[in-house]
Amino acid sequence: MILEVVIGVIVGGIPLSASLLFASLGEMFGQRSGVFNLGTEGIMMLSAFVGFYLVYLFGSPVLGIVAAMAVGGLMGLLMALVSVTFKAEQGISGIGLYMFGWGVSGTLFRVYVGGVTNIDGIGRIAVPVLKDIPVLGPILFNQNPLVYLAFLLVPVSSYVLFKTPWGLKVRAVGTTPQAADTLGVNVQRIRYQCVTLGGVMSGLAGAYLSIGQAQMFADNLTAGRGFIAVALVYFGRWKPSGVMWGALLFSMAHALQRSIQVYGIEFPYEIAVATPYLMVILVLALTYKERNVGPLALGKPYNREFRG
Amino acid sequence: MKRIFGGIMVLSLSLMVGTALFASGQAEATEDETVRIAVVIPSTIDDMAWSQAMYEGVLSVQRRLGEDKVQVDVSERLWNAVDAGSAIRQYASQGYDIVIAHGAQYQSLLDDIAPAFPEVTFAYGTGFRADHENVYAYDPHAQEGAYLLGIVAGMKTRSGIVGLVGPVESGDAIKYNQGFVQGVESVNSDAEVRVAYTGSFGDLVAAGEIAETHITAGADILTGSAQQTVGAIRVVDEYDGVYWLSTDMDQSSLAPQSVLVAQAYDFEAVVQQMIDNRERGVLGGSHLPLSFANGSLSLVWNDALASEVISPEIRENVETAMQMIIDGEIEIELQ
Repeated sequence: MILEVVIGVIVGGIPLSASLLFASLGEMFGQRSGVFNLGTEGIMMLSAFVGFYLVYLFGSPVLGIVAAMAVGGLMGLLMALVSVTFKAEQGISGIGLYMFGWGVSGTLFRVYVGGVTNIDGIGRIAVPVLKDIPVLGPILFNQNPLVYLAFLLVPVSSYVLFKTPWGLKVRAVGTTPQAADTLGVNVQRIRYQCVTLGGVMSGLAGAYLSIGQAQMFADNLTAGRGFIAVALVYFGRWKPSGVMWGALLFSMAHALQRSIQVYGIEFPYEIAVATPYLMVILVLALTYKERNVGPLALGKPYNREFRG
Repeated sequence: MKRIFGGIMVLSLSLMVGTALFASGQAEATEDETVRIAVVIPSTIDDMAWSQAMYEGVLSVQRRLGEDKVQVDVSERLWNAVDAGSAIRQYASQGYDIVIAHGAQYQSLLDDIAPAFPEVTFAYGTGFRADHENVYAYDPHAQEGAYLLGIVAGMKTRSGIVGLVGPVESGDAIKYNQGFVQGVESVNSDAEVRVAYTGSFGDLVAAGEIAETHITAGADILTGSAQQTVGAIRVVDEYDGVYWLSTDMDQSSLAPQSVLVAQAYDFEAVVQQMIDNRERGVLGGSHLPLSFANGSLSLVWNDALASEVISPEIRENVETAMQMIIDGEIEIELQ
């Protein structure tokens, strides 16, 4: 039974991590530039609806994904407008964006769909040859294509953030925007780009949930995953690899608690369900000192008229 | 910036005032004999489960009596008690005759609000305590249909493993689970019922993940309760030879090849009873059960699928057990 549980945890945890990974990687770019977006949950929700709806209408998952990313990008742009140009308090604007996404997605769903309906989204695809590797093959190489994409984006994000001039500007803007500004970096433009990119990635996360994982839409589909994604950026210490391990750990913990319940292992289910969240809090608390690696200007609107 | 902000404030206030005037105009237009019913639900009217079952029950009453006789208004997504309390109080103060707070979690709110509005009928459920003269507690006997679904599961399973996707271990879910387990045990003592909870009522992705885990662990018959089950049904539908047993309402339209049978709640009878009692001057103070005996619970078979995969023996056993429940010969123990 132990082997079954272990395999179950890996098989169940990997797909669960994909939506978190998309959203967290996007949010990481925003936070690296100095803007945190608590509206990630709302972006995911509205994008999940739009993606679902286009598949429902036209039967094209690709169209659904592209539309979800576009909507996510627009909402990211809105967040950037409010938090970068208008210099609004980021936490409050994020919550506003969340409520906007939640309300609008539910209303549009009611008006244009009217009830819970399945769609033919994107299912699992087994990778030829690799899927035949004993034990690991069926676990790792029989996943939804978007899961492969999510993990592929980890090294890509790492490369962009740490090996390209643009990545250097992002890190500079998030750490010392005054210095970056003095050197000719357009702080506002970089922040706009990062927050919009975060929106696009959150849109992809929403599309994965509605088109890939659930293959349906219902009110509050994301159920708090957007907020977890924001926390995972802190958890992963603003590094793509850290975010990935955080997403995997959180997802595997979820899969473990499900297996504990399903296999009837004596353990209070309330504690099992809370374990992944407790774990995130614990790790955040234990890595308190290491958080200094984070962007120092995080959450602070930049105004070149004021120094200090 | 100040002008923009001021403009937004003026626009918002105008909208609020306009809406209030429109609403009061509607209220004045309402004739005295019209019964005004407000329903406060935790999810949405189209959740294919608990909330939709109540909404359809109220609409059935409205359709039967006429829209000029029954006015229905609904507030959705009121999971949390603070928002729900505000809505309930507003409906009561606007002169609604019946305010239905559709969830066990609203009981304490009604304990607080109901004494301040003695002319208004309040109702909540699942519950059995009606401590005020103007509060009803309606109580679907989820365990009764669950017992019958348990018989189907116990006789139908080939693997001997049955999976249950629960929301939170409380209220209706406990009754449902206990009835289901006893139903399985009554026909198949070797079968194992594995219970797992998502910790949420509405997280359909988590419900789908638990269903997946159950199936991977060998379950071939699954069931579960609350709004989230639609996610689990979608996953079950991916597997041949794996079936789902529904509760709250008929969910076969979601997966015609997987949903075998459903326990359906008929809230129409409950709402009608409230209206009838109100006409006699009784505003509450009692417990309104939904059971097979009073006809407000029913079993809805997905005949197209059941005719193929359910043997006459299973159906016969279910019908016999249903009659025994009605006659009081089967008592389902609830702890």
